[in-house]
Amino acid sequence: MKKKVLIFGMSLLLLLTGATGVFSAEKLEIGALYPISGSLALLGEESWRGAEIARLMRNEAGGIAGKEIVFVKGDASTVSAARSEAERLIEQQKVPAILGTYSSSRCMAASEVAARKGVAYFELGAIANAITTRGYNTIWRTNPTAADFSKAQIAFITEWYAPKLGKKPSEMRVSIAHEDSDYGTSVADSFSKMAEGAGVKIVSVEPYAANTSDLSSVIFRLRKAKPDIVMAVSYANDAILLSRQAYELKLKAPILGTGGGHSLQSFVDALGKEANGVLNVDFTQYATNENFAPGLKAFLALYKKTFNENPRSGHSLANYMGANIVFDIIEKTGGSFDVQNIREAAMAMDVPAGKTPTGWGVKFGEDGQNVKAMPLVTQWRDGKLVTVWPEGAAVMEPMIDQ
Amino acid sequence: MDLYAQVLVSGLLLGGVYALISIGLNLIFGVVRIINFAHGEMVMLSMYLTFWLNYFFGLDPYLSALIVLPVMFAFGFLFQLFVVQPILSTSATMKIFTTVGISLLLQNLALIMWKGDFRSVQTSYSMSSIEVFEIIISVPRLVAFGAALASIIFLYCFLKYTYMGKALRAIVEDHSVARLMGVSVEKHYLFAFGLGTMFTALGGVLLVPFSSVFPTVGITYTLVAFVVVVLGGLGSMSGTFLAGLFIGVVESFGGTFVSPALKEAIYFAIFILVLLVRPQGLFGQGKGTEEVGLK
Amino acid sequence: MITKKLYVIGAFVFLLLLLIPLFFESTFVLHMYTLIFFYTALTAAWNIPAFGGQLSLGHASFFGIGAYAGAILYVKYGVSPWIGIAAAGAFAMLGGMVLSLPLIRLKGPFFTLASIAFAEVLRMIAIDWRSLTNGSVGINIPFKPALMNLTFQSGKPFYYISLTLAVVVVYLTYRIRYSALGFHLRAAASDDEAAKALGVNTSLAHFVALMWSSAITGVLGLFYVFYIYVLEPQTIFSLDLFSLQPALNGIIGGMGTVWGPVIGAVLMTPLGEFLRFYLGTIQQGLNYVVYGLVLVATVRFIPGGIVSLLAPMMKRKSAEKAAKPAIEKEAR
Repeated sequence: MKKKVLIFGMSLLLLLTGATGVFSAEKLEIGALYPISGSLALLGEESWRGAEIARLMRNEAGGIAGKEIVFVKGDASTVSAARSEAERLIEQQKVPAILGTYSSSRCMAASEVAARKGVAYFELGAIANAITTRGYNTIWRTNPTAADFSKAQIAFITEWYAPKLGKKPSEMRVSIAHEDSDYGTSVADSFSKMAEGAGVKIVSVEPYAANTSDLSSVIFRLRKAKPDIVMAVSYANDAILLSRQAYELKLKAPILGTGGGHSLQSFVDALGKEANGVLNVDFTQYATNENFAPGLKAFLALYKKTFNENPRSGHSLANYMGANIVFDIIEKTGGSFDVQNIREAAMAMDVPAGKTPTGWGVKFGEDGQNVKAMPLVTQWRDGKLVTVWPEGAAVMEPMIDQ
Repeated sequence: MDLYAQVLVSGLLLGGVYALISIGLNLIFGVVRIINFAHGEMVMLSMYLTFWLNYFFGLDPYLSALIVLPVMFAFGFLFQLFVVQPILSTSATMKIFTTVGISLLLQNLALIMWKGDFRSVQTSYSMSSIEVFEIIISVPRLVAFGAALASIIFLYCFLKYTYMGKALRAIVEDHSVARLMGVSVEKHYLFAFGLGTMFTALGGVLLVPFSSVFPTVGITYTLVAFVVVVLGGLGSMSGTFLAGLFIGVVESFGGTFVSPALKEAIYFAIFILVLLVRPQGLFGQGKGTEEVGLK
Repeated sequence: MITKKLYVIGAFVFLLLLLIPLFFESTFVLHMYTLIFFYTALTAAWNIPAFGGQLSLGHASFFGIGAYAGAILYVKYGVSPWIGIAAAGAFAMLGGMVLSLPLIRLKGPFFTLASIAFAEVLRMIAIDWRSLTNGSVGINIPFKPALMNLTFQSGKPFYYISLTLAVVVVYLTYRIRYSALGFHLRAAASDDEAAKALGVNTSLAHFVALMWSSAITGVLGLFYVFYIYVLEPQTIFSLDLFSLQPALNGIIGGMGTVWGPVIGAVLMTPLGEFLRFYLGTIQQGLNYVVYGLVLVATVRFIPGGIVSLLAPMMKRKSAEKAAKPAIEKEAR
């Protein structure tokens, strides 16, 4: 009976082996790996939508080297699923390259698989620094890193906010409240390190679990630390909870979010007018100066046409921009996915800032990181998330009411 | 000094929410003797129901209880009838896995039907608070606290003075003896599951003004409710209330004075310790726990 | 005679499995088999306390302790993972001892709840104790292929390693089940009070079973992390992946039997993966809906696990021998 069961298991496997990949010469397959179920489903799917729009547009315009682009989807619902799916996409579906992934930990596992097999991996949304510092030369990232986020935040605090308060940067007191998964921890670490370099004082660091149902203790600790500003790194639910309880328990300091939950439509839906004034450092959002981000409006229209609703965050835009860069690179290699060719094409690329829908320039470093990608500072103003800093990209002045 | 009082009050308010979520579980766990891993999903369903009633009909969350509670009573009743009743004779393990399967099912049905968005209802009182001696008290949490207290008193009287309540208590103590005494145990199971789900739904409804709804919102509540019920003692309503407050205060103080990242770890550790020293729970009468412990 | 036939079949299947890597170039196929073998071993290890009727939903704790012990020793101190095996087993066993304290007084659901809480506490400690575990950022196993480093260029070595682990662990559980310990455990499972009255020290039996189980699970954790390259607390202490999944495999296959876990892992592992990439990519969440339904239906219609369907067949066949006790009742 053991045999029967084993045979059944094997035939299941053979089914998997056999039932895949009806290969057509007219098609150009690329793996698209995102967490589309599980706890990160919302923004994982949002990210995928951006890449999908880029694919549809490119195909309408004739595809790459005359071939139609096809995404082979994978679901990186957990870290181990990410590893399995990378194996499956590369070995079973024979995709010559993978793009994705939104989540840093999923990307780390999946890109490790791809790198060990010498398959190209394009990261369009995950921000952990470590993704491009492992010494692999088969990984490219189009979006800014956690370090870029910290740089932007510190620049904003020292160059705009400190003068506003009439303080020197060295007199600024900053607290960090971060969710304690890899995302929050790595961003908070990178911020602490850079703040030290800039002479900004970190007065307290408060890690918490993102799935918690109460953050009053974090607020009490923040109240005790008396910061001028709170740097928050949150997912969706905890971002809402933090702001709600900060308001309720009368935390005076303004909150400066870091992508994630603070830029979601659901954030303003939950907080209403109390969201007004919440700052956020993030990928390019939709109310950004069109001169800085040409093609932004067009993307918004496409999104509505394709998915029949407004985007939930800027993640789709970042993935749209990133996927287009990937397609451009493959266009240049003439449809070849050979890492050497990709590398040459990628290194030759040089797009100045202000020419893409996100406003990011494109210039890959030796490690595969796009050094011209940068996050912007946004602020909730009357229910809309508008870009307020730096000046070229802003559509409004930032404001802080004390 | 102010801070300590404030932390205490916040902890008590949080504990009230925990107690409210756990009352229904205590009824179900105590009477039907099933570890219901889908408990949090029942909170989730009630929250969604409240949300959609507000979204489509503009119904105030508190008013929507009038609809949500009966609906969820029916849900619990049918759940017992079609899911739990058929597997009553199997081992505790099998029952656990049925509810694990249901929990997985409900979470992902919610994801399919309502997407992964985080949804919230905005009311005039969502973020309102009152100040007493400079201590801030959140109004919607205070309402939840009051509801928990009222539910406990109601259940206490119900269990003590009605025939049905007495029968339920008899089942909690020893269901085979209760059966011998002529109590139709299965029928009471149906009722207990419905009633338990209804109180859980009340918790869900009262959460909506101050917390968001999303498909996996229930997971956190399942574990904390088990901790509260076990600490409070099976079948003891006042125990559940006190244990809820205890956990809330521990979480609040632990989070504020030790580390917010460890607050859940602290009460889980206390939970294990209490199980070691006093398996019948901090406030339980100790009746019936040995029996549950067996199978 | 029949058992001889079974041995022949077993040997045949084993040989077949040995040859598979020679025919399949795709490391994905190897990866699937590797996962199946891992879960077979993990489920079998989980199953040891289940011989005595104890349901643990906290095995992720032992898995995680072993994984961290091996990875920290290797990455921080350069100790080869092969030596780390001893540490992984020992530390996991230590964890088992801590969890076994409640066992003295707790049974059934209370032990189950305590085991969940235990894994949760460890997960949060692993997140918070950053100087040791590097927190949520986790530990990466550097890519330095060498036998001593337990890191390989191809997927084949891990295929054989996991196959060996599965065979060894299943054999161990087989030996345990038919030893004096196994006898005591089964007596405790069917009626703890009666067994005690007969002079069986059931507490000791539960304790020893948990020691075996936790140590083996810890060692498996070490191998797993070297296979998956990335170690972070959310994954390694995951309730879903390493506490519920082995329990689920065991229950679907047949809890408390030797072959139940094997059958459960062999069926459920590919099923989960299969559902994810055929249904999960069509409609998000659909795979889990189907998975949940399978679970509910199995418990409803085959409460003794798949092994109970096969048991009558087994019993008829081995009736001539009549040496081994029937297995259908022990699922409870």
